[in-house]
Amino acid sequence: MIFFEFARRSIRLHWLRSLLAVLGIVIGVIAISSMGILGNSLVLSVGEALSDVGDTVVVYPHAGGFGNGAPLQTDTVITGRQVQQIERAVGVNDVIPLHLSADRIEVGGERGVVQVYGMDTADIPLLLEVTDGVYLRGASGAMVGQALARTYNLGVGSRITVGDQSLRVVGILAERGVGFDINPDRAVIVSDQWYRSVYGEEDYDQVIVKVRNLEEIEEVKHDIDAALNRREIEVDIFDTRMILETILETFGTISTFTTAIGGISLVVAGVSIFNVQMMSVTERTREVGIIRSIGTRRREVMKMFLYEAFLLGFLGSAIGGILSFGGGYLALLVMLQDTTFLFASSSLVYIPYGMLFGIGTSLISGVYPAWKAANLNPIEALRYE
Amino acid sequence: MEEKGVKGDRVSTDQPVIRLDHVSKIYPLPFGDVTALDDVSLDVEPGAFIAVMGPSGSGKSTLLNVIGCLDVPTKGDLFIAGRNIGELSDDELTDLRRDTLGFIFQQFNLIPLLTVRENVEYPLVLKTRRRESEGLVEELTRRVGLEEELLSHKPSELSGGQQQRVAIARALVNDPEILLCDEPTGNLDTKTGTLIMELLTEVNGQGKTIIMVTHDPRIAEYAHRTINLVDGKIV
Repeated sequence: MIFFEFARRSIRLHWLRSLLAVLGIVIGVIAISSMGILGNSLVLSVGEALSDVGDTVVVYPHAGGFGNGAPLQTDTVITGRQVQQIERAVGVNDVIPLHLSADRIEVGGERGVVQVYGMDTADIPLLLEVTDGVYLRGASGAMVGQALARTYNLGVGSRITVGDQSLRVVGILAERGVGFDINPDRAVIVSDQWYRSVYGEEDYDQVIVKVRNLEEIEEVKHDIDAALNRREIEVDIFDTRMILETILETFGTISTFTTAIGGISLVVAGVSIFNVQMMSVTERTREVGIIRSIGTRRREVMKMFLYEAFLLGFLGSAIGGILSFGGGYLALLVMLQDTTFLFASSSLVYIPYGMLFGIGTSLISGVYPAWKAANLNPIEALRYE
Repeated sequence: MEEKGVKGDRVSTDQPVIRLDHVSKIYPLPFGDVTALDDVSLDVEPGAFIAVMGPSGSGKSTLLNVIGCLDVPTKGDLFIAGRNIGELSDDELTDLRRDTLGFIFQQFNLIPLLTVRENVEYPLVLKTRRRESEGLVEELTRRVGLEEELLSHKPSELSGGQQQRVAIARALVNDPEILLCDEPTGNLDTKTGTLIMELLTEVNGQGKTIIMVTHDPRIAEYAHRTINLVDGKIV
C-alpha cells in the first residue's frame, strides 16, 4: 500500500522527532498498564487477605453511627434473650454467640495484649479450623491463632497466662486472614464457661449466623431485623459478603483512579503526536499539493497521515507493552512488596488495554492534522515554500 | 474577447477536448474583487499544442489551474473531455486529474519520499490500486530518454533535466488526453530546455493535447498556436 509506504518513509526520514513521539507513547502505555496492574493486584491481595466469609451474617448490638465496617466500641451487648430470638428467627441456620474482650498475655516471661474470644466449644468447628492439636472441648484449655502461636512460639501443650489464669494450649488454628466476623489469628479462643467464670459476663458481644443456603442471606437478615428491631433498633445486622464487595469495589475505584492518573501521561503523549503530525503536515504541504494535483483523493491524503500516526502509536504501544511487564513488576515490588499477582490474567489484561489506549490516543491525535492535510487547497499547497 | 476552435496542425473533426464557455474567475479580496479570468471562451481540439503567453498577473496560471480542475470557475462552464466540471464532486475532479490530465510543472514537483520508479508509477497505482506497472515504467523512461539505472534513485539525486523527464513520464503514465505544462523549461538551461521541448513535441505528435504556459517566445514557437492573455482576457 503506497500510502503506508509514505508514512513509513516519513517516519524514517524524521526519525528523531518520531522517536520522541514514540517515547511519549511508550511512557504512557507503561504508566497506564503498570498502574492498572498495581491497582488490580491491590484488589486481588486485599480480596485474598480478607477471609472468605460470604456465608455469614454478623449481628452487633446497636450503637448508632455505624458505617460498613466494624462497630464502634460501646458498652452495649446482646443478651441471652436476644440470642434466643435470633435462633428462632433463623430456623435451621447455625447461631454462634461470642464473647469478646482484650486481656494481658504472658508466655515464658514475654508479655503482651491479646484478644480473647469466648464461645460454646460445640460451635468452634463451625467457625474455625485447627491445623495442629485438637478442638477445644472442656471448660479449660485454649486454642490460639496461627500468628499468635508464631509470635510466642507456641505449640500444642504450651502454657499461657491470660489475665491471671493459666491455660494449656490444646490446638493451633489455621491462618484465616482479616475477617468481618472474627479475627482469630492473633487471638485466644476459650470456652464460654471459662470466659463467664473469669470475666463474669453473661451477655454477648456479637452473634454470627452461618447461613446454609447462600440464597437465603437476605431473608435471614430480614427475619433477624423483623424479630429484634421491630419496635426500636436493638441490633445492627451485616452481611459479610456485602461488606467484602463494598471494600473490593472501593479498591476497584482506587485502581481505576490510579490507572486514570497513568492515562494522563498518555494524554501528554497524544499532544506530542499531535505536534509531530502538525509539523509533518506543515513540512509536507507542498508534497500534499503535488499528490492532490496528480490525482490523490482527500481521504487518501487523510489515510496517509493517519497511517503515520498509527505507526507511531503502534510502535510506542508495542515497546510500551513489552516494557509494562517490567513496569508492573517494579510497581508491585515497591508498592506491595509482592509480585504474586503480576501474572494474574486480570492484571495482564491491562497491558493490551494500555496498548489499545496508546494506539487510540495516537490515532485521535492524528485526526485533525490528517484532516487539515486532506483539506489543503492544492493550488496554495503547490505554492508553499 | 473570445477565440473558438483553436486547432493544431492535425486536422480533426472530433469534439473539443477542452471547452471554456464564458469562463470567469474572480477572487474576492478584502480590498476588492480581483478578476483573474474575464469571460474567456475557448475550444481546444484533440491533438492541439497551445502556448499561453502574457505578462505576470495576466491570468495564465489561473487558466491552467481552472483547466487542470485545481480551481473552479466563478462564472461560465468548463468542459474537459466532454464533462462539465461544475457538476463534478471533489472526488470526481480528482479522478479526472488522475486519468485525463497530466501535469508538468516548472519546479518538476516530484515526490521526494519516493524513488524515480515510484514517482512515475504513482498515478498508475492510484488508478489501478496495484503496484505492478508491467514494464510500463521502463517503457516510459526509455521514451523520455531516461536511463533505467536512475529508476532506483531519489529525485534529489537527479539533474533538473532528468527530473523534468521523470515528471513527463509520470504525466504520461495513465495515458491522459491532455498535458498541462506550467513553464516546463523555466528551471532548465537552454540546451536541456530544447531537449524537453523536443520531447513534448514528440508526445504531441503521438496525439496528446498540450496546453503550455510560458514567458519565453522561443519556447512558444514549439506550439501550433499561441494565446495571449492580458488582464484575464484572450487578446
